Amino acid sequence: MKRILPVVLAVFLLAGCSPLIEQKDTITIWHWMTDRQDAFTRLAQQYEQKTGVKVRFELYAPSDIYSRKIVAAAQARALPDIFGILGEKKRLALFVESGFVADLTDEFEKNDALWEKSFFEKALNVNRFEPDNAYKVKPGIYGVPLDVTNIQMLYNEELFVKAGIKEPPETFDQFLENIAVLNRLGIDGFVSGWGENWMIDCFSSIYALNIMGEEKVMATYRGEVSYTDEDWIKVLSLFKTMRDHKALVPGIVTKGNKYAEQDFALGRAAFAFNGSWCVNVYDKMNPALQYKVMLPPRVDPDVPMQIWGGAGSSFVVNQTAGNRQRIIDFLKWLTGKEQQVFLSQETKNLPSNREALSEIPDVLLQFAKAMDITTHPSLWPYNESPLVTEAFCKGIQAIIIGEATPEKVATDVQRLKEREMKRERQ
Amino acid sequence: MAVSNYKWIRVVQSVFSHVFLIFVALTCLFPLLWMLRSSLMTNETIFIDKALIPQTLHFNNFYLAWTQGKFGVYFLNSIIYTASAVFAIIVIASLAAYAFSRLQFPGKNFFFYLFLAAMMIPLPGSFVPLVVLMNKLHLANTRIGYILCMINVGLSLSIYILKTFFDKMPSALEDAARIDGCSKLGIWFHVALPLARPAIAVVVIFNTLNIWNEYILATLLLNHEHLMPLQRGLMVYQGAYSVDYPMLMAGLSITAAPVVLVYLFMQKHIIKGLSEGATAG
Repeated sequence: MKRILPVVLAVFLLAGCSPLIEQKDTITIWHWMTDRQDAFTRLAQQYEQKTGVKVRFELYAPSDIYSRKIVAAAQARALPDIFGILGEKKRLALFVESGFVADLTDEFEKNDALWEKSFFEKALNVNRFEPDNAYKVKPGIYGVPLDVTNIQMLYNEELFVKAGIKEPPETFDQFLENIAVLNRLGIDGFVSGWGENWMIDCFSSIYALNIMGEEKVMATYRGEVSYTDEDWIKVLSLFKTMRDHKALVPGIVTKGNKYAEQDFALGRAAFAFNGSWCVNVYDKMNPALQYKVMLPPRVDPDVPMQIWGGAGSSFVVNQTAGNRQRIIDFLKWLTGKEQQVFLSQETKNLPSNREALSEIPDVLLQFAKAMDITTHPSLWPYNESPLVTEAFCKGIQAIIIGEATPEKVATDVQRLKEREMKRERQ
Repeated sequence: MAVSNYKWIRVVQSVFSHVFLIFVALTCLFPLLWMLRSSLMTNETIFIDKALIPQTLHFNNFYLAWTQGKFGVYFLNSIIYTASAVFAIIVIASLAAYAFSRLQFPGKNFFFYLFLAAMMIPLPGSFVPLVVLMNKLHLANTRIGYILCMINVGLSLSIYILKTFFDKMPSALEDAARIDGCSKLGIWFHVALPLARPAIAVVVIFNTLNIWNEYILATLLLNHEHLMPLQRGLMVYQGAYSVDYPMLMAGLSITAAPVVLVYLFMQKHIIKGLSEGATAG
């Protein structure tokens, strides 16, 4: 025992009993983006060489653990200078209300709003709180978008050539015709991660917007229009039609998006519904994949499609950080054209800076062109109850596997909606 | 004739049981083999090449994981955290368990049940208070802070396992040691600890696995990359959108190897400890 104890003590001492001395002049950034750490580190080195200011990017993944770290650090009053807040807008609102996030409106508006104008407006809106917002947050802009994203459809060019299809479909009927041709050659038509509810929600909501327009969708969320309305039946029937036309890859309702991405990357399906992050994913899985981006084919040809999109990831500034101006200067530099082009080329994400579009890879540019027609539930004046959305998505899964009809799903969802509204009123 | 029949039945039973056990063993080994073969492939071939042994073996993945993936640094950290915390748990838990089992002191049962109650608190529920506490003590982002937390996490179950063993220790052994001039601490060290070797083996493997695989608390408490344990390396290969499977599998192989070795070295004690634990009480 006498011999062991000193050894134990030595291990403890060697293990480092004293806290590490934090360098106060270093800008510390916490993030969760594993694919961007190397690029961030290189940018930090560039910035230090240029300005002498040391920047340290600290990566914590996966995102759910990162979110827990942020909450724990907020409670311990130990947040870094810059960090990201994941999740819904109400989470950002909570951090703002609790005094953890700085209001950056003045910085964005300086020099005739030069910094603000450099971003896609939709991306900035995710971090913006308008006057009289539902979260009761002081109006302003509270975050800096680092990149943007949107979700569209993709098609495999080689499979199109094989099937003799010359142009991507513009309408839903053309899409079904293409599927029939592909099926005759034994090629599966469409794949998406419809094992994940949010992907179904995304697909169904853009068609709801196309079929009945935003006002009617919002009226449904407010409880003024029933889910049994013929337009909603039409939305649900799209999934039955796709099922009846054998447009969907087998097992689509159990596929997570990562597995759906494998299917498209390996040429197992001709169409995919996926977000702009897929460019990086497909490049890693199959660099030789030939594909292009297309808007989801319209059901109503007279109404333009809207797609989900907005800020991909954003950074916020710690309200209590001491060296505010240095932090802002760094963020302005990071979102400048050159750095955004670098990030886009290295990580294959869409830049948040509009000026960077001229120098990004072609497939990303195809995604970027649709940024102006993006929408997102976080920007809508009303959101559906999560329970109702979940029931709606599960109903669609039931339609796809033939367990329910669109009419039955609509009735069930409406019943739940009424119950939820009654509960809210109480 | 009857003897011959009996032999045949034994042979058939033996064949069936061995085939069944081989099947079970294969189902246990298959994920490990799959992990190893995937670690020797590339991102392009991993989804295409279905063979158990890949056409081209990329041993470079292990080198890249060790150097670029910083598994070398993380590996050393995990060794330090696991060795220090497990050692401290053994010392503290065996002393406490011995006291709870053999000594009489006021509030003995109260404190023992308090330790048992600590086992009922789910670990994630204590994360935020731990982070706040460590920050207040200026121990956040230090190795010692993390080691202390992991000792705290492992103590309750270890005390419970060891107390169960000490309860069964014959008091005559203690009396003999006392006559030979042993102090209470001497009896613990020279008599109780050697007897509790199977239980200690169970405590070692439980805590080694727990600390070796721990990641959430490490992420919450530690901020610097060079303080992080092995699990961080694995998480980095699992992006939000894409996964670098070959590197992840190479990292997993590196991570799993020491635990497999610990188990192989201690399996006799572990089986004995578990079976004795099963019949205890």
